Amino acid sequence: MKRWLLIATTAALAFPTAAFARGKFDPTTEFEQHEWISIHIGGLNLSITKAVVYLMIGTVLTILMGLGLMRWKVTSDKDVGRRQSFGEQIYEIAQVQVAEQGLPTKAIGRWFPYVATLMLFIFVINFLGFIPLPLTGETWHGVPVWGIYAATSSISVTLALALLTFFFTHIEGIRWNGPVRYFKSWIPDAPKPLLGLIVPLEILGQFMRLISLSVRLFANMLAGHILILTFIGLIFILQSLVLAVFVVPVAAVFYLFEVVIVIGIQAFIFAALSAIYIGSAIEPEH
Amino acid sequence: MSNLLIAATSVSNSPITHAGKAIGLALGVGLGALGAGIGIGNIFGSMIQSVARQPELRGELTGIQWLGFALTEAVVFYGLLGSILAYVLV
Repeated sequence: MKRWLLIATTAALAFPTAAFARGKFDPTTEFEQHEWISIHIGGLNLSITKAVVYLMIGTVLTILMGLGLMRWKVTSDKDVGRRQSFGEQIYEIAQVQVAEQGLPTKAIGRWFPYVATLMLFIFVINFLGFIPLPLTGETWHGVPVWGIYAATSSISVTLALALLTFFFTHIEGIRWNGPVRYFKSWIPDAPKPLLGLIVPLEILGQFMRLISLSVRLFANMLAGHILILTFIGLIFILQSLVLAVFVVPVAAVFYLFEVVIVIGIQAFIFAALSAIYIGSAIEPEH
Repeated sequence: MSNLLIAATSVSNSPITHAGKAIGLALGVGLGALGAGIGIGNIFGSMIQSVARQPELRGELTGIQWLGFALTEAVVFYGLLGSILAYVLV
């Protein structure tokens, strides 16, 4: 099983058809967004692009995964096998490792669905980013070209997710504590003269969370894809097919590293940090 | 000041500027990777030590370990992003 996975991965990476179609290769063009279906409402650009299509597929897959794993009616003992234990494992990670680490007990019922959804959704769209799909928007002799692209390697997607957490944090903080007590909790215990220095930093820190949360996920996925595409692209940049012997295994190693470690960790960390931020707003330390 | 600006704009397309930008990009990412490498090494080293001392805590420590790993690893990408911005915008 493992050996076949490795062979399939190497074979998939050995055919960067997008580059064959153009004749030359530039890794940055893989991340361009073309408007496939143009939708402009006023000043808003709601066009369907590659990232939007990936997000839609990811949403459907997440819903199907939830239905398949959690809402399956158990009819016989045979069903209580792999599927249920897999679903329970995911649930336990979301419950024990993510929600209970950050959220206080009184808010766990309300915010557990949010952080669990966040974790599953980010995991699915990250994972989708490493499966070759015929969605590059290019054709080679009429056949759609296959390629890898993750919706999370676009900063608009991760920033939208981070903004959700940002707004929920402050709404929940104000709802549980009242505006005065909540904003007072931003002012730490410090000598009076230092407050003028610390309070602006504290306020800046609230906005830095937004940047660090979104950039962490975005840059991780972008760098992972650029790394793989650049190594494959060396064949085309240096114009020698012999290089494939060296370059394709290296790209396959990076691919496996991303799939096995990075995508799971990034999904986990995004959800865990969201839980911690929301939890710390609901129960400020002082 | 205005002389400096004129001088800066007149050389902005020369090969030396390109070379400087490329060196800046590489230095930014490289130094970021240096710091993150030390940090990640520290995290896994401490993890090995703690598990060697108290193997029964492994389950609890693993979660914290990966949290620390991801937080540290992100530092490279802040460097990378800043360097790319500098490379593209300057």
